[in-house]
Amino acid sequence: MNVLGADMGSRAVKLIIMNDDKVIYKKQLSTMEFYRDYCNYRDSLHFDLSRLTDIPVDIKISTGYGRNNTNLNDFTSINELKAHALGACYQSKEEDFILLDIGGQDVKVMRIENSVLTNMDLNDKCAASCGRYLENMANVLEVSLETLSEYSGNPVELNSTCAVFSESELIGKIAEGISLDRLCAGVNYSLFRRLKGILSHYKAKKLFVGGGVASNKAVIKFLGTEYDEVIPLPDAQFNGAIGCCVYGKMLYKLNNLESN
Amino acid sequence: MKYIGITTTVPSEVLIAAGYTPLDLNNIFITADDISKYIKIAEEDGFPASYCSWIKGIYGVCLSHDIKEIVAVVSGDCSNSIVLSELLADRGIIVHPFEFPISRDYLSIKSSIDKFMNHFNVSLEEVESVRKSLSPLRNKIIELDKLSYTECKVKGFENHLYQVCMSDFNLDYKKFELEIDEKLIEIRNRESLPFSLRIGYVGVPPITTDLYDFIESQNACVVYNEVQREFSMHRHSDCRDVYEQYLLFTYPYDTGSRISEIKKQIEERKIDAIIYYNQAFCYRSVQYLLMKKAIDIPILHIEGDKSVNVDARTKLRLEAFIDMVKDRKLFKNCSE
Repeated sequence: MNVLGADMGSRAVKLIIMNDDKVIYKKQLSTMEFYRDYCNYRDSLHFDLSRLTDIPVDIKISTGYGRNNTNLNDFTSINELKAHALGACYQSKEEDFILLDIGGQDVKVMRIENSVLTNMDLNDKCAASCGRYLENMANVLEVSLETLSEYSGNPVELNSTCAVFSESELIGKIAEGISLDRLCAGVNYSLFRRLKGILSHYKAKKLFVGGGVASNKAVIKFLGTEYDEVIPLPDAQFNGAIGCCVYGKMLYKLNNLESN
Repeated sequence: MKYIGITTTVPSEVLIAAGYTPLDLNNIFITADDISKYIKIAEEDGFPASYCSWIKGIYGVCLSHDIKEIVAVVSGDCSNSIVLSELLADRGIIVHPFEFPISRDYLSIKSSIDKFMNHFNVSLEEVESVRKSLSPLRNKIIELDKLSYTECKVKGFENHLYQVCMSDFNLDYKKFELEIDEKLIEIRNRESLPFSLRIGYVGVPPITTDLYDFIESQNACVVYNEVQREFSMHRHSDCRDVYEQYLLFTYPYDTGSRISEIKKQIEERKIDAIIYYNQAFCYRSVQYLLMKKAIDIPILHIEGDKSVNVDARTKLRLEAFIDMVKDRKLFKNCSE
């Protein structure tokens, strides 16, 4: 039995096909590419998986920011928080933990107890603590996201609350002749500083991190000052899509049990 | 009619025997069209914004309704009630203190109630006679509560409302009993409510009274209101006297006794999940830690402050929690 999970994020659409407990297909597309090249609109939005792979699927589950954006034909849409919680339970094999998910435009922190979501906070009004901030700052510095994520030592101070003002502040620091490694570390640290506020009500020993920013080594290192253990999920960017598959698998079993 | 305000459930049998009509100040506060007017009175008199709204509400009610005398529970409820009683005494209100003993034993509660009876100059016989006349009403409330979980015929809010009214019997226990008679006829003739999830509500009654409707909008129903049920003195017929009745009342005593009863009800009522409520800035938020540790079904902790409406963030949390608990229940057979 194959389940397709689709996590439609602000920057990318993540697709996973799972056969029972094994991931057999994984694909990330830019949001534009997904809608332009793989979808068509006939009364509702149809996603054509056959243009990507000929693996057959039995059940399709989608999630993403806002239910309207995830309303694909043939798909069962589930709440994004639930998808990430299920994905993290599956990937971490734990039942009680804090999950921090940092995507392109949103940050979610969740408390999972007994495999159920009991508390969560989301960023509101402002996305200066999200992945897009790092992308913009890496562009200013003309380095890749990967390079940016390497630096954590002696960070230059960047105090702006606003991500746009931070760019001007960063340009000011470049003009002062501050070294690239300190500038990169400063960008990473400023993101971490913004995350600290949202994490303040989520004290625990262990923190799992999902989303694109989980691959930023410096941010993970800074988070280590707040938690005993900070663990990026193995498939951090695909966590929501994996959660969809976990849900789909249970739904498929249930439907079969009922029809038998 | 000689009214006497009460800050929470007290041995009202004593007050009725003494010729008073008990008046639960919390009920006047929460049933007002605009509760903020009472909170405003307290804040204008210097109560901090970061303070329990129930306490501020009681203060505002006492001052704006010209309450002459009250019974304040100065042990067994919260420490805010102690300072509230001092402040109200300073404002010229006659305050009669009542203490639930720290130690939950027969001799201690007997000593407290005896002191209370002496204070109001009533005998045990008079008190027992009132207790007896309240029995039919208490039995009917027990039946209403039972219909909530055995036949799912009572909405969570109704269960909450009628039980919480038992602190002062809606000011006239005979009239209230007739009202309950009619309500029970209506309820028995209802179809069972079609909810897929059974929720237990644990903690003090919520200030956010639309909580029950919101839970029902998620296809779940409250089948147990912990503290409200305690207010109804549902064990009254098993008690040999008034002392035992208030000894078995769990609310004013240790958290462990409450937990034992909650666990019993989780079994009895087949509860799927618990919603634990406390008022913002209340010490009871720490009691939650004990509850969470001891209760082995999913539990969600929420708080209310000044609004009678559940805020958007709490709604989101409730929605996600109920959704996941439903999944657990739905998919239980798949994982076995």
